[in-house]
Amino acid sequence: MVVNSLTFLWFFLFVLAIYYACQSKKELQNVFLLASSYWFYAQVDVMMAGLLAFLTITFWLLGKGVNHFLNKEDERKAAIITNVGVVIGIGALFYFKYLNFFAESIVSLISPFGVHLSWTTLNLVVPIGLSFFTFKLMSYVLDIYHGKIQQEKNIVSFANFIAFFPTILSGPIDRPKPFLKQVNQARLFNPDNFLIGFRRILWGMFLKMCIADRLDIYISAIWNNYEHHSAISIIFASLLYPFHMYADFAGYSEMAIGVALILGFKVAENFKRPFFVIDIAGYWSRWHMSLTSWLTDYVFLPLNIKFRKLGINGTIMAIMLNMTFIGMWHGANWTFLLFGIYHGLWYIPLMVNGQFFKKRKIELNAKGWPTPPYAFKMAGIYLVVTFGLMLFHSADMTEFFNVWGSIFSHWNGGLFTDMNTMVNAAICSLALIYVDIQEEWFPKKKLYLPTWAERWRWELTVAVEIVCILMFGVFDNNQFIYFQF
Amino acid sequence: MEREDILKRVEQIFREELGQDDIVLNDETTAEDVDGWDSLSHVQLVAVMEDAFGIEFSSREILSWDNVGDLINTIEKKI
Repeated sequence: MVVNSLTFLWFFLFVLAIYYACQSKKELQNVFLLASSYWFYAQVDVMMAGLLAFLTITFWLLGKGVNHFLNKEDERKAAIITNVGVVIGIGALFYFKYLNFFAESIVSLISPFGVHLSWTTLNLVVPIGLSFFTFKLMSYVLDIYHGKIQQEKNIVSFANFIAFFPTILSGPIDRPKPFLKQVNQARLFNPDNFLIGFRRILWGMFLKMCIADRLDIYISAIWNNYEHHSAISIIFASLLYPFHMYADFAGYSEMAIGVALILGFKVAENFKRPFFVIDIAGYWSRWHMSLTSWLTDYVFLPLNIKFRKLGINGTIMAIMLNMTFIGMWHGANWTFLLFGIYHGLWYIPLMVNGQFFKKRKIELNAKGWPTPPYAFKMAGIYLVVTFGLMLFHSADMTEFFNVWGSIFSHWNGGLFTDMNTMVNAAICSLALIYVDIQEEWFPKKKLYLPTWAERWRWELTVAVEIVCILMFGVFDNNQFIYFQF
Repeated sequence: MEREDILKRVEQIFREELGQDDIVLNDETTAEDVDGWDSLSHVQLVAVMEDAFGIEFSSREILSWDNVGDLINTIEKKI
């Protein structure tokens, strides 16, 4: 069920009506929310809903165990149970996502040495949202072990944290503490939350349907037939891809955050104008923030602590491992592995010259705009990200090299134009760029409206967004890029 | 060493490492209250504190701190 579909709209309206009808009974509201989440997830795959329930119960019991031994001041046993949780979480990810990849890679790597093993590729269906909910499960036991939270006594509350339908398919990846606090409080209908949530859903739909899906038409036309296109067309499509991905994933995130807010939950943010940065560390602090902050806390920080006696080399090792993990998190493919390593390598100059440890702000001129050197740096980071996403977008390394082969060999020919798609995408993209610039550098300046219209600002904005979605939107229920992860 | 003295020594380390002479710490201070105290500088600060006090923290101890008070408690226990 796609979040920006009519089916989801009916489902959500139905859930909303009953959810707030039982708002005076928090327990009943939570049971209904859980049932709705499982029904939603079962639409994708009933069997996988069973796996989700099994893992949820397992981790709830593990959390109980960790808490029990910590209360008895038996840190060793608490650590063992925590590690069991981490092994189960990583094991589930490994089995469903990486087993075939690793087995096939080992078979092909050792065959030149005369060792011939055989591996029959397992026909495994990766549970949708696995990469997202296993991270939530692991953070629960790790947070109990590190004393950040107590065990959640109510299994319904805990199961809601894991299966919460607005975020189960593609995040944002919430943390146990803020979510469990909210799920254990009464959630009464709040008109402010409703209006803000509604605006965020609408904005997300605009990003997805008017920008991402529109750009997708152009990018796919070129990327899927790169051997027939000119170098300039492939480069142009590649340069559009980071922006396309931003609109797609930020669009999904806005909708998820909006739906959650209407249900009375503030969930983690995922994007903060990621291209207005001057180095790769800045980019990752604003791109898929719920994933990067998760990995910072549960992978990078523990590794950096472990390697702290090694000084800068320890930090470099921790960063490289962390970025490799980020790459592999996206899937079992050499392209993702290299994508992670590629990003990790860009951190090294920052660390060696000490910039990584300093606050890096963009210098602004008297009118509030970035100065030319900083504007060039931002453009440079966009190019760095574009190259990385060309790896990310390639089905395999052969495709990646073939695309570059086409770029170097197809210098003849002009830019492929699809005027209708390009004009529609350009109009909507400019709206996103305008909003991002305003929020980043001119947060106090609002678009001027005549006095008579000022009192209708909210209604006018909503009306413009709806008209834009109807005029420029692509209505083909296109999947979100991040649903595959 | 008194708790007050530990706090003063930790405050001095923060000022030197983060290059800010105006940092004032108390038990309730968190990373959000101190400019530049992030996950990265945190590890740097930990390494300097270990040398300064001649102690070693476990990973669990480091990851469990919520504020300066928690950090001082751990140091107090170890010296």
